[in-house]
Amino acid sequence: MSEAQHPLRIQELVVRYGWGESVISGVSIALDPKEIVGLIGASGAGKSTLLRAVQRLVEPESGQIFLNGVELTGLPPRELRGARRRLGMIFQEHALIGRLSVMENVLAGTLGRTGFWRSVRRRFDPEDVQEAFGLLERVGLTGFEDSRCDELSGGEKQRVGIARALIQHPDVLLVDEPTASLDPATSVRIMSLITEICLERGLAALINLHDVPLARRFCPRIVGLLDGQVVFDGPASALDDAVLQRVYGDEAVGGDEILGH
Amino acid sequence: MKLWGVTRSLVTESARPWRPPRMIESATHRWLIIGGLALYGLLALVTVDIDPARIAEGLSRASAFFAGWLRPDFVTRWTDIRAGLLESLAMTAVATAVALLLSIPLGLAAARNLVPGPVYTAARGVLAVSRSFHEILVAILFVAMFGFGPFAGVVTLVVGSVGFLGKLLAEAVEEVDPAPLEALTAAGASWGSRVVFGVLPQVMPRVLGLALYRLDINFRESAVIGLVGAGGIGATLTTAFSRYEFESVSAILILIIGMVFGAEVVSGRLRQRLL
Ligand SMILES: Nc1ncnc2c1ncn2[C@@H]1O[C@H](COP(=O)(O)OP(=O)(O)OP(=O)(O)O)[C@@H](O)[C@H]1O
Ligand SMILES: [Mg+2]
Repeated sequence: MSEAQHPLRIQELVVRYGWGESVISGVSIALDPKEIVGLIGASGAGKSTLLRAVQRLVEPESGQIFLNGVELTGLPPRELRGARRRLGMIFQEHALIGRLSVMENVLAGTLGRTGFWRSVRRRFDPEDVQEAFGLLERVGLTGFEDSRCDELSGGEKQRVGIARALIQHPDVLLVDEPTASLDPATSVRIMSLITEICLERGLAALINLHDVPLARRFCPRIVGLLDGQVVFDGPASALDDAVLQRVYGDEAVGGDEILGH
Repeated sequence: MKLWGVTRSLVTESARPWRPPRMIESATHRWLIIGGLALYGLLALVTVDIDPARIAEGLSRASAFFAGWLRPDFVTRWTDIRAGLLESLAMTAVATAVALLLSIPLGLAAARNLVPGPVYTAARGVLAVSRSFHEILVAILFVAMFGFGPFAGVVTLVVGSVGFLGKLLAEAVEEVDPAPLEALTAAGASWGSRVVFGVLPQVMPRVLGLALYRLDINFRESAVIGLVGAGGIGATLTTAFSRYEFESVSAILILIIGMVFGAEVVSGRLRQRLL
């Protein structure tokens, strides 16, 4: 497939923090259009680091990242800001600004295209405001616009995070443990919401998940990461006990425990 | 009760004594050090040149002072006192407001997590300099520069307050939750928007609390720097002292205490409202 046809392509990426060992050691993943890929791996495998490196929130040491064929690695700051807008990110601990209202948090997603003084005076583009109302409705938070974010439940906060990512008009969603602090039922609701929205909008997504059954259920393709390297990349149906033991790197943990049987 | 019995018996079975460890284990050393310190204290007392005649004189003056203290006189010098108080209040308000405006950019520039190294070092340097001399010294300098009066006082208070507010703001900024900031970066927000959306909402309550606290420090400070000619109620106070009008001194001190109390009440209310 030619370069431009991959919404996101990660090529031989290496990342390290400071002078330590590399946390990501030569990872290559290419997403096809509208593809939803689940990224699984033990705690500390480097899943969050990989997503942060794609956004260049940590600078990769080597390797390339292509967004719709445009190389992100090496982009100067101004263009990088533009490119980041096209990568919507949903965070493990939702990363909202607790003291601000739901509306302000959603509109924070437009800061890449809203001027500084407008953001100071909260004079957002009326179209953006209109869209924010629509997104709040879509994620099931109609009427919450003036609530303070630190007063919401975990699931509601995650919905605000989703709306904030979507208002960026991203081409690709990067999602880090969207269900880490949620109960099982809410986790399923949040995952259905994210995957439905990806389908509606034709977005490709790379989703970190701890929960293997959830990954299997919602992500047609799974990538397994172990110590910063891809040890599995295939359809969810190919995830068997042997693969899970390889990904989680521990003979003592059987596939049954991981799958929650 | 049974449980209690069990624990007790456990304690007596393994009767191993415990005392908090002493700072200096050897008893001889301990007493030598204590003795040495006592001797030094004694010698130091001798060198301060205690003159019984002067103490007696001071005591009689003190009795006049305390007698005056018991009979505060608000009336005789009321116009002076009122002018002094109003001047102090104006100095306090202006200085705190100006300092707040100046300390926000300085505080942001002195936060490790927001700016590159050289900017950080420069801003920290400015803040350190502005805190390195006591208000009195700064006031003497500015009185020498700008002459007697409230302007020198305001500048003095601004310098001290900028150092105080800027440093504490920088520390608050360095402690903000980094996750929302990262989220804003990921959304392509500029540095300015990140500060306005990600940092200020997190630190503003703290900053307003500190500014209110500084308001009341500045009021007290304005009484002190007045003593060296920087205007305000302090100037009125020195005048009263030098005329031996202890009744007016007493009245002024009572008013200062009252104002500080009042400031406490008002800032408490404001804090509840704002936070
Ligand atoms: N800011 C940082 N500085 C230094 N080391 C870090 C930093 N963030 C993560 N690491 C290290 O990088 C490694 C991978 O961390 P990462 O957060 O990417 O793992 P993860 O797969 O997301 O784990 P989890 O499932 O627990 O979220 C860990 O060993 C961690 O200690
Ligand atoms: Mg993680």
